[in-house]
Amino acid sequence: MKQSFKLALAAAALATGVAAAPETAHAQEIQITGPLAGAPAVRKLRLYREGRAELALGGGFTLLDEYKRTIFISGRLQYNVFDWLGIGVFGGFSPEALSLNTDLTDRIESTPAPRNQRTAVNLPGTVGQPKYEAQTGKLGWMATPQVTFSPFRGKLALFQKLFVDTDLYLHGGVAFVGVKERGDCGGPGKPCTAAASFQQVDRVAVAPSFGLGLTLYPSNFVSINFEYRAFPFSWNRGGFDSRGSGPDASFPDNRIDSEDRTFKFNQMIFVAAGFHLPTSPKVSE
Amino acid sequence: MWKGFLMKHARCWLLAVVALLLLPQAAFAQPKKPAGGGKPPPTAPAPAPAGGDIEIDDPNTPAPEEPTEPPPPSGDTGGGGGICEIDPTACPKQGDIKKLAERPVKADVYAVQQIYALRRGRFEINPYWSQSLNDQFVSHPGPGLAVNYYLTNVLAVGVNGTYYQPFNSDADFNFENRRATRIAVPLTEYLGGYAVNFTYVPMYGKFSGFSQFIFHYDGYLVGGVGGLFTRPIPVIDPDNRKFDFEHRIAFNLGFGLRIFLNRWFAVTGEIRNYIYVEHLENTEVAANQAAAQNPNDPASPWIKEKPLTVNVQAQVGISMFLPFSWEYRLPK
Repeated sequence: MKQSFKLALAAAALATGVAAAPETAHAQEIQITGPLAGAPAVRKLRLYREGRAELALGGGFTLLDEYKRTIFISGRLQYNVFDWLGIGVFGGFSPEALSLNTDLTDRIESTPAPRNQRTAVNLPGTVGQPKYEAQTGKLGWMATPQVTFSPFRGKLALFQKLFVDTDLYLHGGVAFVGVKERGDCGGPGKPCTAAASFQQVDRVAVAPSFGLGLTLYPSNFVSINFEYRAFPFSWNRGGFDSRGSGPDASFPDNRIDSEDRTFKFNQMIFVAAGFHLPTSPKVSE
Repeated sequence: MWKGFLMKHARCWLLAVVALLLLPQAAFAQPKKPAGGGKPPPTAPAPAPAGGDIEIDDPNTPAPEEPTEPPPPSGDTGGGGGICEIDPTACPKQGDIKKLAERPVKADVYAVQQIYALRRGRFEINPYWSQSLNDQFVSHPGPGLAVNYYLTNVLAVGVNGTYYQPFNSDADFNFENRRATRIAVPLTEYLGGYAVNFTYVPMYGKFSGFSQFIFHYDGYLVGGVGGLFTRPIPVIDPDNRKFDFEHRIAFNLGFGLRIFLNRWFAVTGEIRNYIYVEHLENTEVAANQAAAQNPNDPASPWIKEKPLTVNVQAQVGISMFLPFSWEYRLPK
């Protein structure tokens, strides 16, 4: 009885819906008239990237540094297959003179050591011999094959007087970073308290690299570039014995090794002037 | 088995057949255009808009009254079209067209359309999330809200506030550094902050995405004065020292980018520097317990250094403009 009632109700609803449906369906016609009818979103677009090679030269500096600020002399060589897609290499190097101490490094350097058994492993025995700054981790160079994706093109009006073509891009690749950090010690015959144990060794860290940037085109040949880049990886920035024993290996073990590398979300800002070849861009229809 | 299945669901099948029979016989995507590609046939004249606006392309617009001046001879109109019919005084004359045709052409002229989103007389409500950029020891993220009123299209006055207290985060690096070197960095945390600001919008522009759609953006400078409630985190002598939040006057200066998704809704990104005098915990500890528990002990007060501090915050949020719409006033 109950099922029959439900069935009857459903049949009535179906019949009402079908009966009330229109005989024919009409979509609304949008009649665009005037000079913009059928026009593309952009006409005569200057294709600053498509088919052009770019050499960008400038400087980069790292952010949120703990012991060393790194200034890179940097550049980017790129070929743009399309206006929205380019492939290239970003690279830079930082000589010792451009690797600057933070205030914390200077304070550690100026405080007499060793202060106890723990600091004897982590800091040179006497102030200045060798210097603490000599054991802090440094970024020496980086090379990043990358893809650049430029989905957004536009222009910018400054004070309603100055107009500059602009594009916004994303980049991603793999960073090969030359890292200097304190060498391994703590094994037989290599105590971490010996002066020689505070010397650094080189290694190459591999990390993802990604970010975004803004390019301004004041002329057909030259551009101005602002770029943010992140390249996170683990390294031993302070040259300390931080991990290796105890639960989760989170306690010191009187050794310096790869266990003491801690994760760092490395970041940098890159500012550059770009030069494009051929010197004149194509123009879209 | 099939027979049983059909019998069991007979009523459902019956309903489906009825529904199919009642379906529309045909569907049209759009009505066909009149033969010969002519304009659609005129219908009843459209009523005049309340604001007195004129639709140039509306075929139903009533014919204008007779012009006060006699029409120029045939062939002298220059094919002015609609504008000549609406306002004969604005109709270009043959001489004007010759003059315009002979003028030098500047190939690099940029076409700038009407400003996409007018701001004058509108409120901007801007909830955001703030993240500190330059403090590697303690991060100070937190939610915030800004409200601005635009006095002109490029100048606004407003207030903003950020709540930091539960989100201050002491980095692991601090502990590891203290354990390794026996040197502590004085740390501070924030309760909240507020500011009264002026916003200036000197630039705006538009982007095309994939050459398929266009969105608009503007860049602005912001600056003002307000306060921050901060206190040291006791790391040098946590057994004896305890600090309360205190008010510090903070000046701020920054810049931002606002990307409009429509005429009243935008996504914002901003860098703001809050500049204030911070109070840091004394890195020296008193020699005896009584002195260590005295915040103002002359030999070893709890607070010693008071450096000028710049707290750089990145703020990401959304903006809503009220009222939602407006009317352009075009010059006649």
